Amino acid sequence: MSRPGGGGRPDVVVSGLGVVSPYGAGTKSFWTGLAAGTCAIKPITLIETEGFRSRIAAEIPAEAMASLGYSRRRSRADRIALAAAREALADAGVPAERAREAGLIVGAVGGGMLEGEEWYLGETRGRPVRSIRALRSILPFSHAETLGWRLGLVGPKETVVMACASGGASIALGADMIRQGVVEAAVVGGVDALTRICFMGFNALKLLDPTPCRPFDRDRRGMSIGEAAAFLVLEEAERCRARGGRAHALLAGYGMTTDAHHVTAPHPEGEGMIRAMRMALDDGGLEPRAIGYVNAHGTGTPQNDRAEALALRQVFGEGGVLVSSTKSLVGHTMAAAGSVEAAATILALQHGLLPPTANLERVDSEVPFDCLPGTARPAEITAALSNSFGFGGQNVSLVFTRP
Amino acid sequence: MTQKEVLDELKGLVVERLKFDPRRAAEMTLETTLPKGVDGSLGLDSLDFIELSVAIEERFGIVIDEGSDLTEEFLSLDSLSRFILAKTGQG
Amino acid sequence: MSGSRVVVTGLGTVNASTAGGRDALAGALALGRSAIAPVRAFAVDDLASRLAAEVDEATLASLVDRDAARRLSRICRLGLAACVLAVRDADIEGGPGLGLVVGTEHGDFTSSRDFAQGFLRRGAAGLSPMIFPNTVMNTMAAVAAIAIGAKAPSITLNQSTVAGDLAVARGARLVADGRAEAVVAGGVDELFEDVYRRLSQMGALSPRMGGPSGEGCRPFAPDHNGPVLGEGATFLVLESPERARARGARVIAEITEAAWGNVPSAPYSAHSRRIDRGSPVARLLASRRGRPFARCYGAGNGDPDVDDWERALLARDLRGPSADLVPPRSLAPLFGQHGGLGALRVGAAALDTERGAGPVLVHGIARGGCRTALAIGAAA
Repeated sequence: MSRPGGGGRPDVVVSGLGVVSPYGAGTKSFWTGLAAGTCAIKPITLIETEGFRSRIAAEIPAEAMASLGYSRRRSRADRIALAAAREALADAGVPAERAREAGLIVGAVGGGMLEGEEWYLGETRGRPVRSIRALRSILPFSHAETLGWRLGLVGPKETVVMACASGGASIALGADMIRQGVVEAAVVGGVDALTRICFMGFNALKLLDPTPCRPFDRDRRGMSIGEAAAFLVLEEAERCRARGGRAHALLAGYGMTTDAHHVTAPHPEGEGMIRAMRMALDDGGLEPRAIGYVNAHGTGTPQNDRAEALALRQVFGEGGVLVSSTKSLVGHTMAAAGSVEAAATILALQHGLLPPTANLERVDSEVPFDCLPGTARPAEITAALSNSFGFGGQNVSLVFTRP
Repeated sequence: MTQKEVLDELKGLVVERLKFDPRRAAEMTLETTLPKGVDGSLGLDSLDFIELSVAIEERFGIVIDEGSDLTEEFLSLDSLSRFILAKTGQG
Repeated sequence: MSGSRVVVTGLGTVNASTAGGRDALAGALALGRSAIAPVRAFAVDDLASRLAAEVDEATLASLVDRDAARRLSRICRLGLAACVLAVRDADIEGGPGLGLVVGTEHGDFTSSRDFAQGFLRRGAAGLSPMIFPNTVMNTMAAVAAIAIGAKAPSITLNQSTVAGDLAVARGARLVADGRAEAVVAGGVDELFEDVYRRLSQMGALSPRMGGPSGEGCRPFAPDHNGPVLGEGATFLVLESPERARARGARVIAEITEAAWGNVPSAPYSAHSRRIDRGSPVARLLASRRGRPFARCYGAGNGDPDVDDWERALLARDLRGPSADLVPPRSLAPLFGQHGGLGALRVGAAALDTERGAGPVLVHGIARGGCRTALAIGAAA
């Protein structure tokens, strides 16, 4: 298969970051939490959890939500998406005219389902809920509608629904559009708010740990759910430089593949994962040994971590790279995960500090890597890779380097 | 409960929860094997097994420890029905 | 369009009118008979809306193997059947070079409802682990990817009205950018009772209250009074002309341009005070002024606001277009509004150019402002 873009193609930089996370609103609180290795996974307050095996999640704090203002027209997910996208654009400082023509790709899954569930439960229990207008934003594409409108965007607008790989895919697809000259800038990222359906569904599949998840641990028992929104502003590097913009990082390469193996289980040998990582490295013209850190998909399920460890071993060799899973800190933020973790990876590169894997007591013998247990690790690295491996075998790998 | 009764319940679950054709279920016997990869089996995969476990727990009022390796128990309708009888204290 | 060129080498469709490959679609279009009829799948006596374009159950059952279909929800079976028909029509194989793009408006609502009902009836114990994966919209793509062996990117896009157009445009981009050697791209939606009822009660379906009476799909007509829903799945196979030639594929047409953009408007609104100057669609149409289109398909489906908006946008951007182009042709009266309709439009345009029609524009606009434009031309 031909290398996307070929030689002489434009570079893509990340010029803006915006995050609303279980640590609070803003990239600053996000990085502070990661650097401190604080686990934000706690007993759930947003929805009823009685009767379920796992009753914890990483929720966005109520004060942070309150600071975003209230709107009966917009769902929780819409609000955090808008806040994160606005922060990213402000951070990038893209001039209004170019911002207007930027592409918009939103990774989403749950949409406004939280409010939809409240309405549905109200109806069926004979206690109708008044805020019917929030029903209009049930579907995942509602966030892009809100952002397109509020940000006055005329560029290409799309919503990708690719389970846990949505956030990562939005970044890869946006970068392609810049490389091919379709747009000069793109606002890309993912969002997911807590929903009953997600909580109940993963409980029913027995994929959740009743205690905070412990990726790569020998005794890991499953995932922890989180909620967040994270957006990146991508720009064509020369254009960014010419306008005096600042690049957080270079998006050096990316790979996207599908396992086409099973609707929920990953390929046991991580076949699609390996292809995605190799594709990303090739795309960036980098050898595996150039990568100093991998932000793993690392959900904490026995299956994913085993397959991912196998894949990492194939690509980097045993112990060939430092690895951590920030899902141990902010949970699995579903459609937002790919972009939340891209942001974490970029910040790690910038600060020369790698976020840890929390709750890691005894590394599984099948995981022959230093997984940075407990404490963030200072490390001057020049390149890092972020993985998102979604339900249904959709794989995205992104490689970032210092600008 | 007899093994035959457990078998009949299992056949019902296989139709109701795993969406098998009722005519196919009528032909199932204790010898019918379950997992994908076994010749002539029902071809159940991991997702089917989770669904079936949940259904069995509910129908028979037992608890299945998903941490333990139950490959043997879930091999055929015979082994599965014995497993259920043992759990309900009647095996 | 930058990057490599893109041609259409196959087509698969399962809709209320027909099921099959390019010939089946060509036949249905030539016949021009509407598949809209009184709803069969559920009771609608208490509603103002009574019509839909429904896929025949026996037809669908014949297309998907019963055992393989065992735990596939209906919308997954629709998508799967059409994808398999498409790859068969294109005579193409799976592998790391085959991508998939699925557009949908509502996804698998049936499974979401079934899942929720399990909980409402029996609490946590009533939740079905098997149904849950279907509640994420990428389930149709996940199922189809396994069946056709699509190991390059498989992407699901959610969008109202123009999901099919957007999916084909995105698929064309994937080929042009070299992210896949070939892409199966299109849309799927299922007629879902709860959505139908809610939309009808909200007055979003024909016959909209306070408007002209008489339920029916009459896009761009003076007495248009709302869309009529349909269901089905339609997918096109897209690849580069070099690859098509190398493997002896039967090319139908070329997608010479594929663009999409936004007209900034409030969610669900069908008008805007702002012009989408600078959007890829506006640029595409401006660049075509010297080479006008011979024909135009549009997304207008009888929703008066969308019809009027599309008419106005095209009148402005095609600068004194011939009566052949505005109002554009709508396929909604034949197949009903659903996620596959946009792909049917592109398929129809491709078949038109194969028969010598001259370049065709497939235009689309949705409430909320998502705007699409694909230019279809004869294969060189």
